[in-house]
Amino acid sequence: MRAPHLVAFRAMAAVNEIQVYASDPAEARAMAAAAIAEVRRVEAKYSRYQPQSVVSRINAAAGSAPVAIDEETAKLLDYAEACYRQSRGRFDPTSGVLRRAWRFEPGAAAPSANELDPLLAKIGWHRVERTARTIRLPIAGMEIDFGGFGKEYAVDRAALALREAGAQSAIVNLAGDLAAIGPQPGGSPWRIGVRHPRRDDAAIATIPVSSGAIATSGDYERFVEVDGVRHCHVLDPRTGRSARGFQSVTVHAPSCLVAGSASTIAMLMGRDAGLEWLESLSLPYLAVLEDGLVVDRFRESRFCVSKVSTAEG
Amino acid sequence: MRIAAAVLAAAVLAGACTPVAPYQRGYLARPDMAMEPAGAGTAKALEKIYPAKEAARGGASIGGGGCGCN
Amino acid sequence: MAATDDAREGGAPRCGPLAALTQAALALPILLVSPKAGAAHVGEVGFATLGYKERGLIKVTEPVLWGKLQLDDVWEFEASGALDIVTGASPELLTNLSGKPVQSITGASINDRRTTSDLSAKRRFGDFSLSVSRTVSNEEDYHSHAYSVHGEVDLDQKRTTLAVGIGRSNDRVGSSIDPALNEPRDTREYLAGITQVLSPLAVVESTITLSRGEGYYNDPYKSTLTFYPDQVLPILMPDTRPGHRNELAWLTRYRRHFPEANATLQADYRYFRDDWGIRAHTLELAWQQDFGQRWSVRPALRYYTQSAADFYSPLVPLPQPRVLSSDQRLGAFGGLSPSLRVIARLENGFTIEGTAGYVHDAASLRLGGGGSEAFSTLRAIYGIISVSHPF
Repeated sequence: MRAPHLVAFRAMAAVNEIQVYASDPAEARAMAAAAIAEVRRVEAKYSRYQPQSVVSRINAAAGSAPVAIDEETAKLLDYAEACYRQSRGRFDPTSGVLRRAWRFEPGAAAPSANELDPLLAKIGWHRVERTARTIRLPIAGMEIDFGGFGKEYAVDRAALALREAGAQSAIVNLAGDLAAIGPQPGGSPWRIGVRHPRRDDAAIATIPVSSGAIATSGDYERFVEVDGVRHCHVLDPRTGRSARGFQSVTVHAPSCLVAGSASTIAMLMGRDAGLEWLESLSLPYLAVLEDGLVVDRFRESRFCVSKVSTAEG
Repeated sequence: MRIAAAVLAAAVLAGACTPVAPYQRGYLARPDMAMEPAGAGTAKALEKIYPAKEAARGGASIGGGGCGCN
Repeated sequence: MAATDDAREGGAPRCGPLAALTQAALALPILLVSPKAGAAHVGEVGFATLGYKERGLIKVTEPVLWGKLQLDDVWEFEASGALDIVTGASPELLTNLSGKPVQSITGASINDRRTTSDLSAKRRFGDFSLSVSRTVSNEEDYHSHAYSVHGEVDLDQKRTTLAVGIGRSNDRVGSSIDPALNEPRDTREYLAGITQVLSPLAVVESTITLSRGEGYYNDPYKSTLTFYPDQVLPILMPDTRPGHRNELAWLTRYRRHFPEANATLQADYRYFRDDWGIRAHTLELAWQQDFGQRWSVRPALRYYTQSAADFYSPLVPLPQPRVLSSDQRLGAFGGLSPSLRVIARLENGFTIEGTAGYVHDAASLRLGGGGSEAFSTLRAIYGIISVSHPF
């Protein structure tokens, strides 16, 4: 039984890995290298932590002149706009400013309305002025943040790089957001463990993945507990407060970008609306509700009502 | 007979049903909740047993053709 | 561009939020591939065999092969083939020689082979689906061609499903002891049904089937021989039935899951009537109990009761009627049939299903009494093994 070559690497402040089946280690390393290069390119281009990045330049120009952007950035912003619309404003790339009020560290306090209100005044995708190749943030202090979809885009770009390098059986995983290029040789699927939202070392489910991408949004990645109530980093741009209703949402979609937005939007919508949202996508998903109940639509992924029998012999 | 029919119709049509949110459908998709709980092979075999000894036939499906059943 | 090709490979969503996100994603230089979980199961194949034994009278073995194939969630194909091998002897003569009417076997033993094959194709159009099927059955003395067309529509987010169907069967009846016999029998069938989700744990289905048939219904191997005390010669009347039959079957099925018990209750009731005077009720209750992911056990009890056909009689009356049959399957009787099914879902993908049942039909079991005197109690056992595997 062949084993895939595994290449681990650091990017986006996490340990990531690429598993690829190739005829020899050198070929595997070459394929992985192409993918890793693409991840680093996306990170450099869109990370707000890097002063030369496109995002940093756009944010630096907030309140002043429009910034010219290239086609890739424009299309990514179009995608973010689609997410904003489909989530009725809950998925908002300008909500990153809220991190100035929230500290997700033990012992921190939840921010008060006084701290949140001035930040809320700087949020609102509808205020952003865009043309085909420019973008302007009209208020000083406004920010756009690709945090909601940048990592997922990097996964998809890395997957494309692997495919173009000739990989037919590979998986690229950036800290839990992943995309598969084909199943393992022989057709058997990759077995993906979904992290248990309350236990670091355990998986809540193992799902088979032959193609497509998986992304998870959870309240356990960055959070603070205040008086027994958990506040996580998924913040509602309309109130500045933490989204409620789910411990985690995992979605299986045609690309990591779609999987990530789908799961994030579900968390932002709260339990009932979020589950309806997930159902409306008709994609397999697994959601752990706030109370611990698991809704597993990977098992029953075919919508099924018992039907009146069809004719048989 | 008529009473049974009326009760059935009432239960189905007058919505004496609890609302089912789409995400609550998981149980309904179980194989033992299907109307044909036996696998295809078992179901076909069972069709040979009871109808060959009884006068009543059918109910679930049509187009199965007849048999000599001697 | 690579992105567009792969998106089409997966099949674009028709409408809704996924379409909006996918469309925006398609503009980017990334891959979009239909998310497939398992080794994409598109179908299954299986094999089953049935053994049936009556008190030394008839033994039936039947290998069945079947296959199912699903394409793109749009098409579904099913095909199966079965071979019935019936050996033993079948009661042919009902005679009252001994004073009371009694079945006798006249010694001719049967070694019958019947082949059946059926094919069906179903296509989904969103909430609506249409299927057509064809069944062909052949044995030495009986040939049947049947087809049907069936449509279903899902309403109210699939909480309600309506179904209608029509079918037709053209049969040819012959006889291995009378080569000249070659009679047609044509049947038209109509079906209407509704399936309703009652709650997250319960669903009910009710279906009515009407059948109108014209043609040859006699059993060419059966006769009634009646002796009269004041006559030297007995009267021998061959099985003679009406040239038409209208039937109605109304089947209601209820399923209720009990998550705490990890089990499901299955209840089926069928009401049957025809214009031969037969009324029958069938009730089956089953409890399917899961043990972990792999095992299920299903004990069941089936009760059946029927009234006699108008022309059923174990004795030929005088004056001799136009139609008469002493076939006890048209008599008044009841039956109890307990059964047990065990299902094993193995890790290598095989599912094995074993069913064992006992059939006990007797005049005394008829609901409300009044079972036919001449009914000869039937005791039979059967066993079915079915093995299937997805692919």
